[in-house]
Amino acid sequence: MVAKEGNIAAGAPPKPAAGVFAGLGGILLRLPEASIAVVAIAISIIFEVINQNYFSGLVQVLAASTALYGLIAIGEAMLMITGEIDLSAAKVYSTTPFIAYYLTQANMPYGLALVLALVGAGLIGSVNGMLTVLFGVPSLIATLGMLFFLDGVTLSVSHSEPVTTPLAEPFNTFLGRGQQQPIGGAAQYAAFIWLVLFVILLTIVLKRTRFGTYTISVGSNLLAAREIGIRTHRVKIANFVIMSLLAGFAGITESIISGSTDPSAGDNTLTLYGIAAAVIGGTSLFGGSGTLIGAAIGAYVIAALLAGLPLIGAQATESNIILGMAIVGAILLNILLNKLRNQGRS
Amino acid sequence: MSSVPDPFNVAGLQNAPILLRTEHISKSFGAVTALKDVSIQLRKGEVLALVGDNGAGKSTFIKVLCGFHPPDSGTIEWEGKPLHLKSPLDARQHGIETVYQDLALVNDLTVYHNMFLGREKIIRFAGVVPFTDNGGMKRQTRDHLNRLGINLPSVSSLVRQLSGGQRQSIAVARSMQTAPKLLIMDEPLAALGVREGGLVLDLIQNLRRQRETSIILIVHNYNQVFEVCDRINFLHTGEIVLDRSTADTTEEELIRIVKSGLGRSAVAQAIASAGGL
Ligand SMILES: Nc1ncnc2c1ncn2[C@@H]1O[C@H](COP(=O)(O)OP(=O)(O)OP(=O)(O)O)[C@@H](O)[C@H]1O
Ligand SMILES: [Mg+2]
Repeated sequence: MVAKEGNIAAGAPPKPAAGVFAGLGGILLRLPEASIAVVAIAISIIFEVINQNYFSGLVQVLAASTALYGLIAIGEAMLMITGEIDLSAAKVYSTTPFIAYYLTQANMPYGLALVLALVGAGLIGSVNGMLTVLFGVPSLIATLGMLFFLDGVTLSVSHSEPVTTPLAEPFNTFLGRGQQQPIGGAAQYAAFIWLVLFVILLTIVLKRTRFGTYTISVGSNLLAAREIGIRTHRVKIANFVIMSLLAGFAGITESIISGSTDPSAGDNTLTLYGIAAAVIGGTSLFGGSGTLIGAAIGAYVIAALLAGLPLIGAQATESNIILGMAIVGAILLNILLNKLRNQGRS
Repeated sequence: MSSVPDPFNVAGLQNAPILLRTEHISKSFGAVTALKDVSIQLRKGEVLALVGDNGAGKSTFIKVLCGFHPPDSGTIEWEGKPLHLKSPLDARQHGIETVYQDLALVNDLTVYHNMFLGREKIIRFAGVVPFTDNGGMKRQTRDHLNRLGINLPSVSSLVRQLSGGQRQSIAVARSMQTAPKLLIMDEPLAALGVREGGLVLDLIQNLRRQRETSIILIVHNYNQVFEVCDRINFLHTGEIVLDRSTADTTEEELIRIVKSGLGRSAVAQAIASAGGL
């Protein structure tokens, strides 16, 4: 276009990674989920060495808990990428199967009831989202309010009594009630398989769709996103809805696996495990960056610690000490690696 | 004027159709009146400098023009018809491109994602599912930057990893990606070195020579104003207090006017003492 000597913004090419940045270290630095993967493998090896029953004895428990925490964690990760958070996830988890239960009480077929229950979960998410983006209530507060609200509604409507999940095929098999209806054993891992599918799906969404690009944009630079003309409200609300759908889905699978729809099933620590898993998996609390694979591996790390520590002799009370230290330790490792990453760049 | 060569066909500009006209645009933020009755007019291919002190309302005005701020009152006429912009995307679809003062770049996205932000290239998987065409966007970004003479280590690096000048270059390049009818640039040279800034000025001159794209340029350096602009509008506390063609005034005169006082009357006095408009 214009012939002129020299170019604008001629930057020095990036220096070749040297020493610590080469080889395994290099991979560790490049992939945000690699550090949590190393932690996950290390924990697994340690547990297996101390007690050879770790994998063989716990594989089903590990798969089920990883699926449960993981579904919450990837939802929180999406939301945290937009710069928001959901504290009500565990209550959406316990409310959703109740919606399905009451719909079947009104003679609705179970399949349709499940679909409508998920619609209900999505609506809860959209209320969280609208409170946040339209009325400026910080998501921490909006979802805290939703937490208590849903808890109160579910407990009072059910009189704090669990009910029997209205089980029906094919939902049993596809949503995890493998113990009763084994199809080659795979149904026992249905929830875990769903987690893997959702991780793949949302990773593609994040990396290869407009919506994913906008999700990162609103969390990284909300003003820029608005200046460009992105509908930032919609993008954020949609991610609140995704979070609630995943929490509701997790609640439905759990109600089917356990056969019981329990109003007190969604303990708030479930939400906290999800948030912790997302953060130790490499998702920033400040928005703009995160990984769903990392969040899922983070969920496994938490599941492994919770299930594995008692196996190697820790008391339940003691395992929380280790869990707390492990969460902070994993985040410190992330911070350290981020520092190294930035040095490698300059 | 007639003896001076006219490489930019400044004389012909008077006959160019009017692209944009604003009438009495006002905008307040709470108690702060950022714009008062701002009326401007811009011909096709014309390069207009918008100058004024910090806080004068320059950025606010261009953000009204690019659909970011709805004006409190006043109208915008675009190609002879009233224009009501719903959003910056709406403005971009009308052919209005903006380089914001804050650059509007997303640090956590790659250069090529930023280059296509808001109008990503899409490929349909199985003819239905819309995916972003990352490969295509990468390629086009590389080509586009090469064409403009902008060198970057990699279009796949995150914007976070770039220098201030590199970031500004990307924002400028993004605005020139489609052939806009109106190009708005809010201090596009602020972070650029002398050589890099020169290249952007050359790009502007090139557009000016073709007289297809109208440009509103916010700059603080009068040298640059006189180098590339046809007309100057001086904004002071939200009001246009001076509207002159660069051919009819000199840099010294402009500096004298600006220095000699604040407020409409003061500027009017200065203009009077400088020999009238
Ligand atoms: N979003 C906003 N909210 C409140 N006040 C604002 C906002 N944007 C601008 N203002 C105010 O409007 C006035 C004009 O600001 P503006 O950014 O348009 O000035 P400017 O001429 O671009 O200045 P500069 O040369 O420093 O960029 C200032 O008093 C500013 O404080
Ligand atoms: Mg400004």
